[in-house]
This record gives sequence, structure tokens and C-alpha cells, in this order.
Amino acid sequence: MDLSFITESLYFVKPEIAASASIILLVLLDLIFHKNKTIIPYVALAGIIITGIFVVDQFNISGFAFLSTDNPKYGMIAVDNFGAFFKLIIIISSIFVVAFSAYSDEINKITDRLGEYYALIFGMILGMLVLISASDLILIYLSMELLSLSSYVLAGFTKLRDRSSEASLKYLLYGATSTGMMLFGISILYGLTGSTNLYIISAALQTQSLNLLTLAFSIILIFAGIGYKISSAPFHFWTPDVYEGAPISITAYLSVASKAAGFALLIRFIKTTFVTFVDDNGNWQLLQVFDWESLLIIISLLTMTLGNFTALWQRNLKRMLAYSSIAHAGYLMLGLLVFSNQGLIAILIYFTIYLFMNLGAFFIVMVIANKTGSEDIDDYDGLGFKSSFLGVSLAIFLVSLTGLPPTAGFIGKLYLFIALVDAKMLTVAIIALLNTVVSLYYYIRVLKHMFLTSPTEKTEKIPLNFGQIAVIIIMLIPILLFGVYFSPVVDLAKSYITILGF
Amino acid sequence: MNLEIILFIVLALVAVVSSVAMITRPHPVISAVFLILNFFALSGLYLLLNAQFIAVVQVIVYAGAIMVLFLFVLMLLNTNKEDNIFKQNKALKIFAIAIAVLIFAQVAFLIFFSSPSDALNSQVAESVQSGTIQQIGTKLYTDYILPFEAAGFLLLAATIGALVLSKKKFE
Amino acid sequence: MTSIPLEYYLILSAFMFSVGVTGVLIRRNAIVVFMCIELMLNSANLTLVAFSSFLGNPIGQVFVFFVMTVAAAEAAVGLAIIIAIFRNKLSVNIDEINIFKW
Repeated sequence: MDLSFITESLYFVKPEIAASASIILLVLLDLIFHKNKTIIPYVALAGIIITGIFVVDQFNISGFAFLSTDNPKYGMIAVDNFGAFFKLIIIISSIFVVAFSAYSDEINKITDRLGEYYALIFGMILGMLVLISASDLILIYLSMELLSLSSYVLAGFTKLRDRSSEASLKYLLYGATSTGMMLFGISILYGLTGSTNLYIISAALQTQSLNLLTLAFSIILIFAGIGYKISSAPFHFWTPDVYEGAPISITAYLSVASKAAGFALLIRFIKTTFVTFVDDNGNWQLLQVFDWESLLIIISLLTMTLGNFTALWQRNLKRMLAYSSIAHAGYLMLGLLVFSNQGLIAILIYFTIYLFMNLGAFFIVMVIANKTGSEDIDDYDGLGFKSSFLGVSLAIFLVSLTGLPPTAGFIGKLYLFIALVDAKMLTVAIIALLNTVVSLYYYIRVLKHMFLTSPTEKTEKIPLNFGQIAVIIIMLIPILLFGVYFSPVVDLAKSYITILGF
Repeated sequence: MNLEIILFIVLALVAVVSSVAMITRPHPVISAVFLILNFFALSGLYLLLNAQFIAVVQVIVYAGAIMVLFLFVLMLLNTNKEDNIFKQNKALKIFAIAIAVLIFAQVAFLIFFSSPSDALNSQVAESVQSGTIQQIGTKLYTDYILPFEAAGFLLLAATIGALVLSKKKFE
Repeated sequence: MTSIPLEYYLILSAFMFSVGVTGVLIRRNAIVVFMCIELMLNSANLTLVAFSSFLGNPIGQVFVFFVMTVAAAEAAVGLAIIIAIFRNKLSVNIDEINIFKW
């Protein structure tokens, strides 16, 4: 039996092979070094860096891997620049999360399960890497479940706290229901078109005349599953509870990497299956299954509004940041609903900036919670005076999350609004702008507690060691730099939006 | 009225009744037993559809492994009878049932409206061939080798996860 | 199948899917909710096998093979989470598991 088609395809999946080898290596090392486990975080970091090197190699390669035997034009995995860009975002956030876990008190307390912790993080990484470049519905479902299962366990990792196990249960029940609905939608789509490969489905949708109602129903069910992953309304109800109950390094990871993988899947699914051609201005022409624009506008505005308005009365900082990340998912969908390459560029720019500012905010909350043991906003009173470095950095991250100049958050929102205005969606742009103004209140409220309230006896100075300061500075530099000098990011995004087949 | 139609009616009836019974019984162990009955009925339906391998795997994996795991956990946790399900939140539950009935009516309408079996001729000979274990095995190891390996890692992650969450300290 | 039309299988699977969704919404015991999710997955399996048989295409049955794998893995992790909660609180009623406010 000639297996050359497998060995040829291995060249395209080098990052995934590196991630899989790291999982196995971590489990083995955990067995070998079961008394002294200090080597494991370093091995995990090395594994991520090697995977990252393979991902960087994948830029400017494009092609299909694992071609199907009866239709050798298309395959299971589509390697392209768009996928490589999102994989790089995953790798960078993974490196930061390993660094966070090293400085987190919660994770350092679990000494006997450390190998499994990093193995499950690699399970998430593998799931995300495959999810980003999968072009077959079977592989999408499997990798999404791999990502979800590892997340359920990681969310409940510090099981001595009640809230952790309950967050995990809530995550599990919501996630399993949503992926069950997605599976039903996939089965209907398979029945309508006879194949599970996105490219073959696209060809079938364009040539045959199918019942549009059934197709619309199956697409809505599939969106239930994808919407759960990116925590867009009305599937966002798990987000605040899970983000509050999970260990904070996992919360940070979920809010950035899991969302990035979900968005990459959504964009690839829509563009590959439903876009018929792209004209010279970069506008997409979609199959008229139903009114895509109205549906996405409603979902995006609902997500933004729910996220922003509910964050207004949150006292727990982790929960507030959870609602803020829901609102950011709403902003990101704005880049999708203009259906043009410009919107896609805006999404890529926004994700790069969102990575640094969200991870930064969570890291500082974690450092403060390590010392004071609380994430309540009242415990931040006067923090700006006692630990000024932390206060100033948190201020910069929060200002960037709001989207004010001269931070990079402003640039991200600017490109999204430019894409909206170019597509003549002025009402949507105005509503999004109003939402940004609302979000100003709850971000600035933290600053008020930190700088305008005098410190009580409870607030103490928070000591930072050199590593923590270094991590914070590494995350601060892009926020401040890209606020003024943003053309490298924009040029990078412009050249990396090619999805295979277009 | 040949054997096939009789078998289909019996199996479909068993599947329908056992699924409704599963969600309405207050005692969780009885719900689990009804679900096992449902899985057996589904296995018979798969056989009617010429899916030999899937029918056998359904009994071995679903009814034989997953449901036994559920029953073990139910016995371990020593759960008592739930109250009557309509005792609390009555309005919300009636609303939920109404939504589900609406969904079902809509899907039924879609199915009859689009009449898929006119568009597809039933490919009997091919379906017998495609349900055999040789055909599925060939597909698994040639076209779908990557999902196969991914499923392996999924099982590894699930094993590690279950171990982390439920095992007490070793020493 | 020459005598049983495809619609009957699809109606049956749609019914089971609706029953599963109803069960997830109205039951209070976490393990029973999980069993209803398994019912939803089985209804999707029935749809896939029915379409696979009518199209003469083995892809649907290969997909069902993977769905069963995922269901088994999910059941293992889900039950482990439920056991972990039970050890802390001695209850698996999801009404009582509600210390999160709005």
C-alpha cells in the first residue's frame, strides 16, 4: 500500500507534530521525575518555542495536506498565511501563559499534578493549531472537542476551591450542548451536499439548487457551536462564571487564544464555504442563503451591548474583564460583517493588539491577587500610590482596552471603524462608538479606585521580582509602541490575509 | 407489510418511547436504563440502514462502555429520587418544552417540505458496500488518517483530565 | 432501502434531538443532563448514518465513528468533574450549584 501521500503531507503539519511530541514528552518526564518537577515548565517552554519556529516556517507556504483519494484537489488541512498568522498568535499567548503559570500562586501550589497541567495546555495548543487550519468538518469537530475537553479540565484544575469545579461543570454542560447542536447542523449539511470537505461543499452549494431553508437551519446550528467558542451572544452565558472560577492564567489563556482559534474557524468557514468571488476592491460576494449582514449585525451589536452594560456593575475584577472580553468579541465581529478584505485586515490588527492588552491586564490582576488574595475592586483602593509600577501599567492596559489614543487599542478600533465606514454602515459604527463610551466608565472606575482613593490600612505594597517586571514590560512595549508607530503591524496584516483558494 | 417495515415501526416506537421516558422519570438510574434501551433500538435501526460496523460499535461502545460508566457513577454517588420535575420553576419548564416542540415542528416541516428522498435515489448496493468494515477501515487509514490521530490525542487528553480531576493523592 | 423513505429516519432523529434539548433544559440532576446530551449526539449519529446509507457514501459512517470516540471521552471527563464536585458539596443538583450571581 503506497503511503507516500502521508509522508508528503507531513511537511505541512510540522507545528502540530511538534506539539504532539511535546504532550508525550511532558507526560513521560512527569513519570520519570515524579519527585522534583522543576524541569517541566522549561520543557514546556522549549516545546512551545520549537512549535513556534515551525509556525514561522509556515509563512509563505500554501497548499493542502492530506489530500483525499477520490478528489485529490482538496485536502483536510489548508496551510496558508492567514492560518500561520493566527497560529503565531496562539504560540505567543502560550508562551505568556507558561510565564504566568510560573508566577501564579495557585498553580505553584499544585505540585503533584504539574506535568498534567502542562500536558493539558499542550492539548489545548494542539487542538487550536489543528482547528485554525482544518478545512474538513470532521477535523473541525474533533479539534474543537480536543480544545474544549482540555479547557474543561484546566478550568477546574484547582479543585479545592468550590468555584473552580462548578465553573468547570458549567463550562462542560454549555460546551457539550453547543457542540451537540453544531454536530446536528453538520450532519444536515453533510446530507445536503454529500461531503464534509468545506471546498467540496462550497462547489456543491454553488452548482446545485438546494433547499435554502434547510441550509439556513443547518448553518444556524453550526453557528451555535462556533458562537459558544467565541462567546458571542446568545451563547456567552458560560463566560463570566468560567472566567471567575478558573485559575487566572487559564482565564487569560481562554480569553485570548481560545477566542482567536474560534474566530479563525468562523472566518475560514464563512469565506471558504459561502464566498463565491472576491472583487477588485476586496469585497466578498456571498451566497444568498439568508441575510448574512443583518444576522451578523444583530449578533455583534447584542454581544457588544450585553458585554458592556453588564460589566458596569461588576465588583470582581476577573468578572469585569470577562464581560469586557465578551464586548471585544462583539467589536471583532464588526470586522467580519463588512465582508471585505479590509475588515479582515482590521480583525488581524485588533487581535495582535488585544493579545497584549488583555494578557497584560490579567497578569497584573493575578500579581495583585497573589498578594492580597482578592480580586474585588475595593481592594484596589490607593494601589497607585503604594505600588506605582503596577498601578501605572494596569492603567495603560485599561486605557488601551477602552481604545483611547496614544495606546495601541485606539489603532485597533480605528481600523475597525474605517472598515465599517467604507462599507457604508454608519449606524453600526455609531452604536459601536457609543458602546466604547460606555466601556470607558468601568475601565476608568478601576483607575479611580487606584489613583483617586487614598489607600486604606489593608493595601500593602506589592513586591515584584525581576521576572514579573520583565514580563509586564514586554507586554507594555507593543501597546505603547504600536500606538504611535503602527505601520509594521498594518503591513504585516495586509500581507497575511490570504486564505487558500482565493 | 414486509418484515422490514414491521421492524422499523417497532424499533422507532421503542426509541421514541424510551427517550421520552428517560427525560421524565424522577429516579436517575431508571433514566439510565431507558437510555440503554434507546441505544439498543438505535443499533437495530443502524442495521436496517446497512451500517453493520456502526451498529455493532454502538452496542459495544455506547451501551456497553459509556452507559456502564454512567451507571457506576450513579451508584457511587448514591443519588436519591429527584422531586417531580414540575415542582420548581414551573413556568420556565413549560416554556422550555414549548420551545422544543416548536423546534421539532420546524424541523419536521423542513424535512417534508424539501423531500430529500426524491432528490436522492436510494443507493442500496453502494450502501451495503459502504457499511462494511473493510470500507470504513480503508477510509480511516487513507483519507481520514489525520482525524484518526487527532482522536487518539483526544482520548489521551481525556484520560489525563479524568485522572487529574478524580484521583486522590497517591502517596 | 427501497421501502422506508429517508424522511422517516430524519423525523425520528429530529424528535430525539428535540427530546434531548428539552431534557437539558428541564432536568436538575447534572448526570441526567449529561445523558440528555448523549441523546442529542445519538440523534446526530442517526442523521449521519441515514444520509450515508442513502447517498451510498461511507463518509457519514466514518464521522459517526469519530463522534462515538468524542462522546466516550466527553463522558469520562464530564463524570470526573461531577465526582469532583460531589466530593466538595455532596450534591449534584444544578440548582444548588449556583453561587455565582449575575
